[in-house]
Amino acid sequence: MEKAKIKASQMFILVVLFEMGSAILVGLGVSAKQDAWISMLLGLAGGLLFFLVYYQLYKYYPTLPFTSYVQRIAGKWMGRLLGLLYIIYFIYLSTRVLRDFGELLTTTIYFNTPLIVINSLMMVIIIYAIHKGIEVIVRVGELFFGVIYLLAIVGFLLIIFSGLIHPEFLLPVLEQGWRPVFITFIRETIIFPFGEMVVFTMLLPYLNDHKKVKFACMGGMILAGINVTITCAINVATLGVDLFERSNFPLLTTIGKIQLANFIERLDVLFMLYLMIGCFFKISVFFYAAVVGATDLFQFKNHQKLSFPIGLIILLASITIASNYAEHIQEGLKVVPVYVQWPFQIIIPTLLLIIAFFRNRKKKTTSTP
Amino acid sequence: MSILSSMLKKKQKKRQNDNYRQKQDPQKPEDLLILSDYKDNMARIKGEFGNSTDIVFREFKFGRKKGICVNVDGLTNQELISEFFMESLSVSDRDDNLQDSFQLLADKVVNLGNIQLITDWNQVYDALLSGNTLFFLDGYNHAINVETKGWEQRSITEPSTQLAIRGPKDAFTETLRTNTALIRRRIKSPNLWLESMKIGKVSQTDIGIMYLKGIANEKIVLEVKERLKGIDIDSIQGSGYVEQLIEDQAWTTFPTTYHSERPDVVTSHILEGRIALIVDGTPFVVTAPAIFIQFFQAPDDYYSRFDISTGIRILRILSFFIAVIGPAVYIAATTFHQEMIPTTMAIAIAAQRENVPFPAFVEALVMEILFEILREAGLRLPRAVGQAVSIVGALVIGQAAVQAGFVSPVMVIVVSITAIANFSTPSFAMAIAARLIRFILMGLATVLGFYGIMLGLMFMAIHLCSLRSFGIPYMMPLAPFNPRNQQDVFVRFPVWAMKNRPTFISKGNMVRTGENQKPGPPKQEENNQTSNGES
Amino acid sequence: MMKKIFVIAILFLLLMPMLSACWNQKELTDLAFVMALGVDKGEHKKFDVTFQIVIPGNVSSGQNGEGQGLPIAVYTSSGDTLTEAARKATKKISRRLYYAHTNLIAVSEDIAKDGILDLMDALDRDPEFRTTTELVVTRNTPAEVLVSALANLDKLPVNKITKEIKSTEMMLGENMSINIDEFLAGLVSNGKEPILNGFIVKGDVEKASESEDLQHTKAVAILAADGLAVFKKGRLTGWIDHEKARGVIWILDKVKSTSVNVDWNGRKDAITMALLRSKTKVSVEIKNGKPIIHIVIKDEGWISEANTVVDLMSPSEIEKIDRLVEEEIKQQILASVKAAQKMKSDIFGFGERIHRKDPKLWKKLKRNWHDHFADLEVNVKVDSYIRREGIRTKPFWSDFNK
Repeated sequence: MEKAKIKASQMFILVVLFEMGSAILVGLGVSAKQDAWISMLLGLAGGLLFFLVYYQLYKYYPTLPFTSYVQRIAGKWMGRLLGLLYIIYFIYLSTRVLRDFGELLTTTIYFNTPLIVINSLMMVIIIYAIHKGIEVIVRVGELFFGVIYLLAIVGFLLIIFSGLIHPEFLLPVLEQGWRPVFITFIRETIIFPFGEMVVFTMLLPYLNDHKKVKFACMGGMILAGINVTITCAINVATLGVDLFERSNFPLLTTIGKIQLANFIERLDVLFMLYLMIGCFFKISVFFYAAVVGATDLFQFKNHQKLSFPIGLIILLASITIASNYAEHIQEGLKVVPVYVQWPFQIIIPTLLLIIAFFRNRKKKTTSTP
Repeated sequence: MSILSSMLKKKQKKRQNDNYRQKQDPQKPEDLLILSDYKDNMARIKGEFGNSTDIVFREFKFGRKKGICVNVDGLTNQELISEFFMESLSVSDRDDNLQDSFQLLADKVVNLGNIQLITDWNQVYDALLSGNTLFFLDGYNHAINVETKGWEQRSITEPSTQLAIRGPKDAFTETLRTNTALIRRRIKSPNLWLESMKIGKVSQTDIGIMYLKGIANEKIVLEVKERLKGIDIDSIQGSGYVEQLIEDQAWTTFPTTYHSERPDVVTSHILEGRIALIVDGTPFVVTAPAIFIQFFQAPDDYYSRFDISTGIRILRILSFFIAVIGPAVYIAATTFHQEMIPTTMAIAIAAQRENVPFPAFVEALVMEILFEILREAGLRLPRAVGQAVSIVGALVIGQAAVQAGFVSPVMVIVVSITAIANFSTPSFAMAIAARLIRFILMGLATVLGFYGIMLGLMFMAIHLCSLRSFGIPYMMPLAPFNPRNQQDVFVRFPVWAMKNRPTFISKGNMVRTGENQKPGPPKQEENNQTSNGES
Repeated sequence: MMKKIFVIAILFLLLMPMLSACWNQKELTDLAFVMALGVDKGEHKKFDVTFQIVIPGNVSSGQNGEGQGLPIAVYTSSGDTLTEAARKATKKISRRLYYAHTNLIAVSEDIAKDGILDLMDALDRDPEFRTTTELVVTRNTPAEVLVSALANLDKLPVNKITKEIKSTEMMLGENMSINIDEFLAGLVSNGKEPILNGFIVKGDVEKASESEDLQHTKAVAILAADGLAVFKKGRLTGWIDHEKARGVIWILDKVKSTSVNVDWNGRKDAITMALLRSKTKVSVEIKNGKPIIHIVIKDEGWISEANTVVDLMSPSEIEKIDRLVEEEIKQQILASVKAAQKMKSDIFGFGERIHRKDPKLWKKLKRNWHDHFADLEVNVKVDSYIRREGIRTKPFWSDFNK
C-alpha cells in the first residue's frame, strides 16, 4: 500500500474513465439488436447493486485492500489463496483489454505492424505510470478527463450535423420482448463493464474521505453508464441494426461516416485517440490493483519493484491468450463470463460479505458485556 | 561488469581527493586573530593577496597612534572615505591613553554607516572583498569595519527578455542591493523579510531570500533554505547555477523554478506566497515554487482587460501545442494516415513531394535542424545585422531549398509555423523544453504515426503529473483539480473577481480583494440628472 | 546503480525492433490514389476491373507550372474476386494502390444484373475503403469507359460525377446520392430494396478518354446521370426514368428543389413552379389487418415562369395554380409507385415502416412481401404553397396581345 491519498473527485474521474474505457469500443449488447441500450441500462442497475456489496465490505475494513481483508474474513490460508486468485484475475483482465486494444489498432490502421510492437509500447508507458504511483495516475486522469469529454462532445456534434442519426432505427422497441434483453443483460452487460468495479475494492482504501465513497463511485458509474448507453443508442441509430451486428467496432464505423463540409472526413484517428486514453486507464487500474495486491500479499516494501515483472507478464500474455481475433471474442463472450467473471465479481464477494456480516455480529455481541 | 565498476569507483575516489585538496587547509586558531602590530597586519594582507595592486593602504596618524586604512579600489566609494574619514581624522588630534584611542576612533571619527568591530581574519577578507573599509590601529587587535560599498553598476534599463507593452519598464541589475530595493519599493510592508547567505566556496556570492511572512508557506521557506545551505560548489556565476542545484528533479526538461528580469513579475509572485531568490551578479531572480501554467502567463496579461488576456492566453497554450506536435503531425498524416487529409489537399501535397528525394522524416529533420542553426546563429550576430540575417536567411534558404528540390513547400510552411509558435511561449525555459520534445515526437511519429504521437504525449503527461516543485504538484491547479484556483489558468478572471490567493502555495491569509469590487457607474438618483447629463 | 543501467539497457533492447522497420509507413510518392473503380463482366475471369489513378503533378495548380497533361491514368486488370484483380493490377502499376480516397465505384449493367453481390463484401470489410463511396450503374456502356472519361469543368472526372450527383439531387431530384452503406442496408433488409444511380456516356464514346475531347468547347463525349436502377433480391430488374424517378426520390424525402409544370388556359406547360423546400412524410395505417400507406408531401416554392395570360397578383388565381401543382405532383408520385409495383420491388422502404409500426403484422407479410407490395394501397396527399412570383407581377403576355 502506498502512502497516497486520493480525493473523492479524483476517484470519481477514475471510475468514469475506467468504466468507459473499452466499453464503447466493442459491440456490446449486440445480441439484443436495437434494444441494446436497454440492456445497457439494466447492466448499470445491476452493477450499482453489486457495488453496494463491495461498499459494505469496504465499510467493515476501511483501511485495508481486498487482499488483506479477505485473509481476515476467510482465514489465513484460504484468504491468501483467494487473494492470489484475484491477483491473477486482475492480470488476466488487463491482458484482455490490452489484447482488445492491440487488435483494434492492427485491424484498422496499422495492419502490417505486429501486435507485439503495439502492445509493448503501450505497456512501456503504463509501466512508467504504475511506477510513479496511483497519485500520478489519477492526476493524468484529471488532465485527460477534459480532453475526453471535449472529444466526445465534438464527435457527437459532428455526427448530428452530418445528418447521420435516424431515430427510427431504434424502433420497434422490444420487438422480441424482454427475453433477449435479459439474456444479454445477464451474459454480457452486467459483468462488462459494470461488474469490473470489483477492482476498486483494492483502491478504495486510498480515499481520504470515507463518507464520499458512495457518491464518488456510484456517481461515476452512473455517468459512465449513461455515456455508454447514449453511445450505444447513437450507434444503432446511425448504422441500423444489421450493420451494428456485423461491425466489429461499431463506434469506429459510426465515426467513419462523418462527412462534413467536404473536408472533415475519415476521423478514425479521433477514435483512436479516445481509445488510447480509455484503454490506458483500464489497463492501468487492473495492473495497479494486481501490483498492490501482490505487494500486499507477499509483503514487499514498495510496489515499484513489481511493476516491471508484472507488466512483462501482461505483455506476453496478451499475445498468447488467443491465436486469432475470433478465438479472443469467443473466449470473452462464452467462456469468461460464466466461469470467471460471475464467480469473481459476484459470487465470491457476496459470500465474503455474508461471512463478514456474521463475524462482525459476533464481534459486537462479544464486545458488549 | 566488475572491471567496469571498479574503474568507475577509482575515478570517483580520485575526484574526491582533488576536491579535498582545493579546500583550504584548516587554519590554526592563532592564525585567526588580528595582530596588534598594524604593520604585521598590513604585511599579512599584502602577502595573502600577493601584493595585488588594487588593495589600497593608507597610513594615518591618530593622536600619537598610527594606523592604516585598507580597502579595495573599485569596490569602495573613494569619495566617502576621503570626505568623511580622512577629514575627520585630520581634525581630531588629541593625546589620550590606549583604550580611549580606539574607542574614540570608532565613535567620533568614523561617523558614518554600519560599523563593526572584528577580530577574525576570515571576517577581514570577507569585509574587504565586499567593499568595506577596514581601519587598523597600532596596538589593538581589533579592526573597524565600515560599509563603504560603491562600485560601477549598470543603470536600471529596460528588460531584455520579458517585454511588456503596458507595464513598468525597469529591470533588475547585477547588484543585490539594487534588486532588493526594487522589490521593497513595490511592497511597502514590514512583512517582507529578507534573509541573506553566501554560497560558493570561492566566489562567496551573496544570495538574498525574500518572502512575505504570513503568506508564504513556512515549510517551503525552510525547504529552500535547507537546499541552499546544502550547496557545495566553488562558484555561483548566475542564478541558473542555483536553479540547477536546488531543483526537485534533475532528469526533466521542464523547468521547476521560474526566473524573471522584471520586478513587477517577481513582486506578484511574492504576493502570491512564493519565494524569491536574488543572486548577486545576475539580473535574473529565481522564484520558487513554480507550476506549469505559470510559464504561459505573461506580465501583459494583468495590465490589460480580462477578455483580451484570456483570448491571448488560450492562443499561447495552443501555440505551445502546435510547436510541440506540428512537424510530428505532418509526418504522421502524410506517411501513415493519408485518409485523414481531404482528397484535394492530399493530391496537392503528393504533387509537391514527387520531386523530393528524401522521405518525410528526413526532410522534416533537416529543416528543423537548419532552423535551429539559424536561430542559434542569429543570437551570435551583432544586433544590427542579426535580425535581418536570420529572417532573410530563413526565407532565402527555404526558398532555395524548395527550388532545388530538396524539400517541399509544405514542409517549409510547417517548419516555419512551428518555429513561430515556439516563440510565442513567454518563458524561454519552457520554449526550450518544447523544442526538445518536438524532436522526440517527430521520431515517434515516423515509426508509428499518430499512435506514436499519442504515446509520446501520454508519456509527457505522466511525466508532468509526477513532477513536484518544492512539494507542490507541478500540474496544479489542473490536476489535482481545484475549482477555486481556476481563476488564472486558461481564463483570466477580471481583477475584481480574483478574490483569493492560490490555495496551494500559501496557506494562510487567503483573501486578496474586498467585497463588491466590480466596477460600474454610480447608481442613478431619481429626479436629479437626465440621461444626457444635464441637471 | 548497476541494476538501473541493466534495466534501462534491457528496455532499450526491447524497443530496438521498433526502429528497424516502419511497417505501416507509406510515403505519399509510393501511393497511387485510386479515385474511381469500374467493374465489368470479365471475358476470361469474373471481373474486369478498371482503376482510375490520379497524376498529382498534373492536377494541382503547382508551383512548378509544368505542362498540363492529363490528370488521370487508367489501368485495367481482371480476376475472380476484387482482391485478386487488385493484386494483379500491381503488375501494371508502379505504386501501391490506395483506396482511401476512392469516391466512386461504377458497375456495368451486366454485373448489376448478376454478380454485384460478389463485390460488396470486399468493399465492406476492408478498412481502407470509405463507406461513403458513391455507387453507380452504367447504362449501355462498359464501366471502363465511364472511368476513363475526361471532363472539362472539373480537373478530376470523378469529382464531376460525385458533385453532379449531389447537385442534381439538390436541383432536380431525379437522382440521389447513394453510397455503399445505403446500398448494403437496402440489400440486407427485407423491407426495402436498394436503388442505384444510372450513368451514361453521351456522344462519341470512343473519344471520351482522349484529351482531344477537351479541345472542343462542346465536348465530344459527356458523362451524364440517367435514371435509377431498381434491384430485387440483389439483381437489377429494371430502370425508372425522368419524372417517375423523381417521384421515387420524392417519396424517399430527398427532393429539395425542382420544377413542376402545369397547364393553364388550354396551354400546355404554361406555368412553372420552382420548389424551394419539400418534406415528405410517410405513415402506415393498419385497416382490417391490411396496411395502407399514406404519403403526405408539403412543399413551398415560387413561380419561375408564366408563359400565358394570368393574373399573378390575385390570391385566388395563385390558389388555383396551387391546386393544379398538387394534382400534377400527385399523379407523378402515383405513377412512380405503380412503376415500382410493376417491378414488384419495394424501393421505398414501406415494408420497413410496417415493421416498425406493427411487428406482428410484418412477421406475417415478410415472406411474400414482394407480392403484397404489388397490391399495396397507397394514398397521396400534396400540400403545395406558392409564396412568391419573382420580381415581376403580371407576365408580359398579359400585355402582349392587347
